[in-house]
Amino acid sequence: MNELRVLGEFYFSQLAHKPIWDAKGRRVGRLLDMAMRWDSISPHVTGIQYAKGLHALIPIGWIGSWNADGLRLNTTFDPSLTCPMHEDETLIGKWLLDKQIIDLEGSKLVRVNDIALSWVSHEDHQYLVLVAVDIGVRGLFRRLGVEFLLSRIANNFVGCQYIKPLENRTSALQLTREKEQLRQLHPADIADIIETMDYRQRANFLETLDSQQAIDALTEMELDAQVEMINQMDEVRASDILEEMPPDEAADILGELPVEKSEEILRLMESDDAEDVRELMQYQEDTAGSLMTTEYIGLPFWLTAEQAIDELRRLAPDAETIYYLYVVDEQETLEGVLSLRQLIIASPETPLKDIMQTKIVKISPYDDHEKVADIIHKYGLLAAPVVNDQNHILGIITVDDVLELLMPERPRGEIFSSLIALRHLPKGGYSE
Amino acid sequence: MNRKVRFALFFAVMGPGIVTAFADNDAGGIATYASAGAKYGYSLIFIMLISTVLLAIAQEISARTGAVTGRGLSDLIRENYGVKWTFFAMSVLLIANLGTTASEFSGIATSFEIFGVSKYLSVPAMAFIIWWLVIKTDYGKMEKILLLLCLTFFSYVVSGIMVHPPWPQVFVESVTPTFSGTPAFLLMAIGVIGTTITPWGQFYVQSSVVDKGITAKDYHYTRWDVLIGTFFTGFIAFFIIVATAATLFVNKIPIETAKDVALALKPLAGQYATFLFAFGLLGASMLAAFVLPLSTAYAVCEAFGFEHGISKSHKEAPVFFGLYTVLIVLGAAIVLWPKLSLYHVMLTTQVVNGVLLPPILIFMVLIASKKSIMGEYVNTKLFNVISWAFTFILIFLTLLLLVSTLFPEFIGNVFALL
Repeated sequence: MNELRVLGEFYFSQLAHKPIWDAKGRRVGRLLDMAMRWDSISPHVTGIQYAKGLHALIPIGWIGSWNADGLRLNTTFDPSLTCPMHEDETLIGKWLLDKQIIDLEGSKLVRVNDIALSWVSHEDHQYLVLVAVDIGVRGLFRRLGVEFLLSRIANNFVGCQYIKPLENRTSALQLTREKEQLRQLHPADIADIIETMDYRQRANFLETLDSQQAIDALTEMELDAQVEMINQMDEVRASDILEEMPPDEAADILGELPVEKSEEILRLMESDDAEDVRELMQYQEDTAGSLMTTEYIGLPFWLTAEQAIDELRRLAPDAETIYYLYVVDEQETLEGVLSLRQLIIASPETPLKDIMQTKIVKISPYDDHEKVADIIHKYGLLAAPVVNDQNHILGIITVDDVLELLMPERPRGEIFSSLIALRHLPKGGYSE
Repeated sequence: MNRKVRFALFFAVMGPGIVTAFADNDAGGIATYASAGAKYGYSLIFIMLISTVLLAIAQEISARTGAVTGRGLSDLIRENYGVKWTFFAMSVLLIANLGTTASEFSGIATSFEIFGVSKYLSVPAMAFIIWWLVIKTDYGKMEKILLLLCLTFFSYVVSGIMVHPPWPQVFVESVTPTFSGTPAFLLMAIGVIGTTITPWGQFYVQSSVVDKGITAKDYHYTRWDVLIGTFFTGFIAFFIIVATAATLFVNKIPIETAKDVALALKPLAGQYATFLFAFGLLGASMLAAFVLPLSTAYAVCEAFGFEHGISKSHKEAPVFFGLYTVLIVLGAAIVLWPKLSLYHVMLTTQVVNGVLLPPILIFMVLIASKKSIMGEYVNTKLFNVISWAFTFILIFLTLLLLVSTLFPEFIGNVFALL
């Protein structure tokens, strides 16, 4: 008794615009759209819109039968008994058909060609359930009325649990579930999806992401796209996001914006972050200074190995890399460098100045990119410190900054995003 | 904002309108304007000026829709009118653009023939080069080089002044509405409108506004971009007609091939006129041949939800690359047909463009007047009246052309009655 029985399967396109007759054989109207409720269970149809401009719905319970010719009601039609649309209901045709959605399974933006519905019975109740959306060519041909041409090609469905429409409905319950699903996506995929959206969709979509996800996704994008995104945001939101991004990336983005706009954003950013970014922005585009980030780990030379590890725990979340630790004095003068490995294998009481190496490969902020790449390549480094004439450390350049330089500009797509994904591995996966 | 900042902002959003304007004066454009000047003297300038004003309106609508919605036209047609209408609109666009691509290749073939290179050599070679360059190189840079080549068309302006046309007569005829019901005249009139306002130009300007990331709040700069672009389209077209009318029409020299159009440049460049013409024609044809197949493939794939973008691989976006390749191959193949007059390909395709324009215009105006899509940037009443009037005039002209071609006496009789 408790089992689910499938009574029939339909496509929205097969039902749309079909006439509706009541029990007496009078023509009531045409099926224009269906109202759907998507609560904790699967999305199901609650009513049928039968006349243009009318918000009244024929309750789904009135439907007696349907076939290729149209729908037949099991009662006599009485307009006063129709029900209005509720707040938690949406018209599926208007909301989904021909619209773009995020396919969470394939992690990309797709267009809905048709909607697959199932007529099921469960515990004496009958439901019309939304099963999947059709994003394949066959759905397209079905809409044109020539499906028979492609009858050998399989349908390309996205199950309703994997769809994320771009236009939000009002239900708050739905939002938390969707947020949960979005969290499954890799930031690089989110970046790709955002890049294919229009700017209004972007604004909406960014709001459904939590701020860390938005920042991760933005960091994954190419500079052009980053600039466009920031340019389209209002200054307050832009400053919030740029604060959290690695300062070198933020500086690159701000450097591409009109002066007026970048000044406004910098003014709104927290003063510490803004200062870091300003410092980075002063370097010419092709110098080491423009490549470096200020988020390195600097430790005072008088710490012991054990204290240093504790300090590392505190500093690590913000740092670009933790494999090299830079030992500095009170004036930020670079005294030495040690690797994470050296720190961990040292006995806890050893002071840093006894473990560190004092022979350091350094880069000047005015060196050109080629020289930076040469140095990092020659010494096989994961990162190199950038120091000024007084031997004060200004920042570091990591090997992935250099890799980005060496990558040819054009090929993006799959190869590039898999490279981006790889880039995360040495950093220990992307942060949540 | 001070003046400097505003200037900088303007240059940042500038581009879509101006590129479209120059690509508008492509092989077909030159051929049509020159033919209009050579055959009808200054009398078609009136229709040309009117269609330039209408071009400004049409481009403004497309650019505004692009900036406000952040979407391409085919995308909006799909979301608002469903699969069947989209299929119809895309079929129209495909036919029009295939024709126009063929006319661009005719332009390329003509300019190479001036240098003594056979079309059987130049067309396949250039088709391949275009196909390859678009996929392998930076399109933005190519666009700038080709735009520079197009600047040679300003030589028509110089030439038009040097021939000392009877200016008072030119201006009087420019503002005097002229009309005739003969098929030849109607053909020319629709051709002039069809080459000035093109279906692809509307799709292209909208998607490049979107690509540039221009939003509603920067839109007022884009409006200037579009208006300046349109001004140049009209400005150059005006002088092509004046230059050809003053040299060819006055001396009763008919245009048989596109090379004859170069004669109008003689006053400026003397014996080098044909070379100057060939460079300009090559630049304009190449620019449009680059833009057309690509933007068509984009529009169609966007509408039907196929993967698209030049950064994708052939395997990821087979429909996109397939369509793009087919358009170039077919466009080039049409031109290679033996004994085909290249000049007539250029002229005919402009008429086809004119005939196919109304359906696209109807969609554009319908979308731009929907408040739910355009919000506060929706078309004003006056704008709507002008756009609809224009659309219906164009449909009327098309029907008239059809009737006058099928029953030439009928129209003659009607005119006799009036």
